Amino acid sequence: MAEMVRKSSSDEILNHWILAGSCILLIITGFAFLFHLEFVGSVFGGFNFMKTVHNWLGVVFILSLFYSMRHYLKDALEYDDDDVQWFKVAGGYLSHKVKVPPMGKYNPGQKLYYLAIVVAGIAIALSGFGIWLLKGNTTVMLLSHLVHNVAFCIFVIAVPVHIYLGTLANPGTFQIMVNGMVPLETAKKKYPKWIKAVGKM
Amino acid sequence: MANDKNRKAILVTPEDCIGCRGCQVACKSWNQLPGIKTKNNGTYQNPPDLAGAAFNIIRYNEVPSTENPVRWLFVSRRCMHCDDAGCMKICPAPGALYRTAEGAVAFDRDKCIGCKLCVNACPFDVPRYDAENKVTKCHLCFDRIGAAMQPACVKTCPTGALKFGDRAELIGTAKKQGFKTIYGEQDLGGLGTIYAFKDEPKLYGMKENPTIPYSVIFWHTYLKPLSVIGLGGVVAAAAIHYLAIGPHKEKDEEV
Ligand code: HEM
Ligand code: SF4
Ligand code: SF4
Ligand code: SF4
Repeated sequence: MAEMVRKSSSDEILNHWILAGSCILLIITGFAFLFHLEFVGSVFGGFNFMKTVHNWLGVVFILSLFYSMRHYLKDALEYDDDDVQWFKVAGGYLSHKVKVPPMGKYNPGQKLYYLAIVVAGIAIALSGFGIWLLKGNTTVMLLSHLVHNVAFCIFVIAVPVHIYLGTLANPGTFQIMVNGMVPLETAKKKYPKWIKAVGKM
Repeated sequence: MANDKNRKAILVTPEDCIGCRGCQVACKSWNQLPGIKTKNNGTYQNPPDLAGAAFNIIRYNEVPSTENPVRWLFVSRRCMHCDDAGCMKICPAPGALYRTAEGAVAFDRDKCIGCKLCVNACPFDVPRYDAENKVTKCHLCFDRIGAAMQPACVKTCPTGALKFGDRAELIGTAKKQGFKTIYGEQDLGGLGTIYAFKDEPKLYGMKENPTIPYSVIFWHTYLKPLSVIGLGGVVAAAAIHYLAIGPHKEKDEEV
């Protein structure tokens, strides 16, 4: 057995799947409201119950988003010259021939993804609570409705990109969200600055 | 819909109204709506505005006049049955608000999820909610007109201030009678509650150029399509990327 290093803790993995599960169900039920998808409604026994599910999934989602901050926020706020260079070569995604600069635990694409999810997540949750609880105020309702839908558009674009990059586009990555482990040799190549920082290289 | 031959409408002629409020009572009676306890707040207008148990009200609109000591314009207020209906546009629950064959905007309270978005998208602040937070409003007596009867309010009106019929015919007749403005002829694709006015709509306390809130129009025209195009575009781009460029391989990192 090749030597493995732990990239994600088990509470991080559990929280990720709560975040991902609630987020994806929110997206599906959100689309059902937007486009009157009756077949989705019938899975929940009608739109009335689906609305209740959607509201409470929002609570689960925002709680797990806040909890995720202890896993990613610090990393996501730090950028260096290699991160700038990473963007110049588009992370190596547009050609396998370019030289990708050495990365830390997360590449800047992931870090910005995280920040986008935090910002859009807080916006979509606050506006969701606005529509749910502040029904009496027209300005709040209309503004919330608008913000909720702008944030929704960010989610339906950012999340599938993330899923593709975390699975098909980067074989082996998905395992990080299953058992948290990466082979040390792989980690040395993909996240050299992180491996150096934890003293394994 | 606006020019649809089957489209029915109620024509309101304030100058013919005597403020008897028979229409309010008939509506309550047909729709089995309870009375509302109100208090005198210095006007005969009662209840003060539309309510969960008041689908139509007469606005007691007193306006200045040089010819008469008092000039009162009694204006029936209710759902306008807009052709381009903000309430239907924003409603997330299929079937909660729906269009009848006669062009009315009716509702199905069992399908309403009580989100109350509709009142905020309505240019006329019409929808109200019952004790269980389900939508209620004038539905143009869809159950009566579907059976070739007149709406309860029209049936009871003793003066002809409320008339029900083919929308195009009502407008044609009112124009021939020389009314200055047919309010609602063009607004929002054409309203299903139209008004024959002798003066400016403003004088009758009507909203000039009613529109659905711009945020709702923006959402409907841009954000809704963007959500589908965005998701579809990303899935397509991922597929193309996978086939044309392919996933990262470990040996790539060794360059
Ligand atoms: C079923 C769909 C999903 C899969 C397969 C998936 C997969 C992954 C994987 C493999 C990682 C680890 C990446 C690494 O450590 O290099 C990760 C991280 C992460 N995921 Fe997901 N994920 C999914 C859905 C979601 C959703 C819906 C959200 C957001 C609401 C989300 C938010 C995150 C965040 C914030 C991270 C932290 C690192 C980063 O920014 O990439 N994930 N995911
Ligand atoms: S007046 Fe308001 S409630 Fe009536 S159809 Fe128009 S938007 Fe809907
Ligand atoms: S309150 Fe009912 S009718 Fe009004 S928008 Fe919400 S679901 Fe539709
Ligand atoms: S029943 Fe006719 S006359 Fe009486 S208040 Fe209503 S619209 Fe006016």
